[in-house]
Amino acid sequence: MFAPDASVRPGYAALGRRVQQIGPEDLHVRAESLSRSYVDQGVTFDLGGVERPFPLDLVPRLIEPDVWAPVERGVAQRVRALEAFLDAVYGEGRLFRDGVMPRHVVLSSPHFHRVVHGLEPVGGVRVHVAGIDLVRDNAGTFRVLEDNVRVPSGVSYVMTNRRAMATALPEVFADHRIRPVARYPRQLLAALRATAPAGVADPTVVVLTPGVYNSAYFEHALLARLMGVELVEGRDLVCRGGRVLMRTTNGLEPVHVIYRRVDDEFLDPVHFRADSLLGVAGIVNAMRVGNVTVANALGNGVADDKLVYTYVPDLIRYYLAEDPVLPNVDTWRMEEPAHREEVLDRLDELVLKPVDGSGGKGIVIGPRASRAELDELRAKVLADPRGWIAQPVVQLSTHPTFIDGALRPRHVDLRPFAVNDGREVWVLPGGLTRVALPEGELIVNSSQGGGSKDTWVLSRSALPGATARLVQEPPTGRLDLRQMEQQQQQSGGAPYGDVVGGAPC
Amino acid sequence: MSARLVVRHRTGYRYPQGALVSFDEVRLTPPTTAEQTVFSTRVEVTPTPWSFQYVDYWGTHVTAFELHERHEQLVVTATSSLDVHRPPRTGQGLTWDALAAASVGSEPCEYLAVTDRVAPPPDLAARVADLRRTASSPAALVDAVVGLVHDEVRYETGSTHVASSAADAWAARAGVCQDLTHLTIGALRSVGVPTRYVSGYVLPDPEAPLGEPVPGESHAWVEWWDGTWLGIDVTNLVVPGDLHVEVAHGRDYADVPPLTGVFTGAPASDMFVEVTVTRTA
Repeated sequence: MFAPDASVRPGYAALGRRVQQIGPEDLHVRAESLSRSYVDQGVTFDLGGVERPFPLDLVPRLIEPDVWAPVERGVAQRVRALEAFLDAVYGEGRLFRDGVMPRHVVLSSPHFHRVVHGLEPVGGVRVHVAGIDLVRDNAGTFRVLEDNVRVPSGVSYVMTNRRAMATALPEVFADHRIRPVARYPRQLLAALRATAPAGVADPTVVVLTPGVYNSAYFEHALLARLMGVELVEGRDLVCRGGRVLMRTTNGLEPVHVIYRRVDDEFLDPVHFRADSLLGVAGIVNAMRVGNVTVANALGNGVADDKLVYTYVPDLIRYYLAEDPVLPNVDTWRMEEPAHREEVLDRLDELVLKPVDGSGGKGIVIGPRASRAELDELRAKVLADPRGWIAQPVVQLSTHPTFIDGALRPRHVDLRPFAVNDGREVWVLPGGLTRVALPEGELIVNSSQGGGSKDTWVLSRSALPGATARLVQEPPTGRLDLRQMEQQQQQSGGAPYGDVVGGAPC
Repeated sequence: MSARLVVRHRTGYRYPQGALVSFDEVRLTPPTTAEQTVFSTRVEVTPTPWSFQYVDYWGTHVTAFELHERHEQLVVTATSSLDVHRPPRTGQGLTWDALAAASVGSEPCEYLAVTDRVAPPPDLAARVADLRRTASSPAALVDAVVGLVHDEVRYETGSTHVASSAADAWAARAGVCQDLTHLTIGALRSVGVPTRYVSGYVLPDPEAPLGEPVPGESHAWVEWWDGTWLGIDVTNLVVPGDLHVEVAHGRDYADVPPLTGVFTGAPASDMFVEVTVTRTA
């Protein structure tokens, strides 16, 4: 929102003026009502066993068209490369022979599911939905933090945030031309139908949820409702003769496409966890016979592996013959001895991540870790080098956030969502901006108590691009934006740790 | 020298209170390879299920089936007749350095993971590490490790169960061919020798008269990488020959189970297995 010289960034001038006009009391009232409406609608998440409203900050994040264009291109590019990679991993595997990636990287990934090797997905789509986590460094460059192509969640908040903001700040909406997000469910349904098994003229699509106790159940229900399809649990489905059928009041009816929000390990007790009651026995062999499409495909987790992440720029060059639009965060591979040696000398300066983690689990932020924690980390890395990567502490962007009646800088990341129907990769204009609410907190996940912001991708500049200087305001009942800038500068000098991405599922 | 064998493998489950639905997969079909030619092979299931066949990641022929009627037993009978001509293979006599180079990024690297199922307990791992220090070549080490496992662990039917780990068998110093094989695999992998699990059958008595069915069992042995896969039957301390029938290979037993599946119904079930091997020529 602010340029380094403490001026308001051009795109935010109108927003800054509006926020001042509304004033802190009114803002507070609106924030309260917003939170109440989220509880009423059930837009909640489960934090330590307590259902809380998902915190939505009143200050939206604005993204100018020229800033958004490379994000859109880069996310689509990444999804195309990951699709090609997964196709190789579960098929011919030429990239190993061509020396793009060592074979053991894939073979040693716990998410490489040999049981789906050789299965050819309809339309070549394994990544029907992707959530690519981005952070913006202090040079303003968007970098990819991690890829989520298993069961990415959070898109429901993109849609509910937009509706809530339209109610809470209608006058701000009127000032901007914001690209809509409501198309997402239609786009997803079209992709699911486009990848139905061959020869099915009018496929039946369902959303498979683990059930009401899942922290993302609200999202599963919302997507089913907006797509106009059944929301089912494992017990509602049965495999018969290599087909998946759904129990209905009219008896068993065939199902052709399953948008599943159940993790691989729970999906089929025949091949995975035999004690799972969340899946459908026989579904893998129904896929093998070609009678059902499961979206996202099984085995995609190998692409989310953070060791594989380090090779994605190479994959983009190899498969697409293009340079990556969105760079990675610089990463050391702990399995490479030279990298390991360097990192173990500098553990207190770096961020270490388990390759398998999501939701910020297991991450150690060196500058904040105690001596004992670092020693424990060192032992873990030495015991399992394949299990860890290291990254520098990223100087991460902050965004003004409404905290206790005042605006304060808080760390943010961005998760754009992409949908692949086999012909094109469509990127939802916007995505989920997650914000770490505690001061200085680096972990933005809702599972860690993070909140979110509505993300407005503008279709054209709301105002001429002049830099607006702030008007000096008496500090009475007005939001003092300058005070906020100072705070931002104070905290801006300190190295910020990595915002930790990862699906809240 | 070759042998013509007929293998009949009858297995299944009994459900005293009945099973309502079963989903199962069987891996009981020997493939035709350079060393064995399969004339006929069939898998029959009673009650008659919906079934289909596919070849899995490891190259194993799988018969998958579903039963949707109440059943008190499930019987799978696999019958195969084949010619086996399995002369001893010759490895490349790789040095330790050459083995290390060959194990990176090529097919054998899949067979280096020391998983919980095969991991050697600390005292065994230490002894294997000692052997590694004095072994002039991978081949010399393999001989030493196979000898160690065979001498230390008593072959005893019923001493372990199908889900036992190498560590369980080591603690008891007793096990069956599956355990001896897992122990050898984990020990060799722990010092960087790619090793895999082979499942199949063996005619237990080389002197068995022609045409006489001999009771047998499912069998398991190891293959280790010396530029080519070299087999060793740890249980019998022999190189697999004309009386060994190969069905499948993988990282450990879990990749190649003869019969596996899930059922719904009362939780009681027991599994039975009867194998006969007949030499006909």
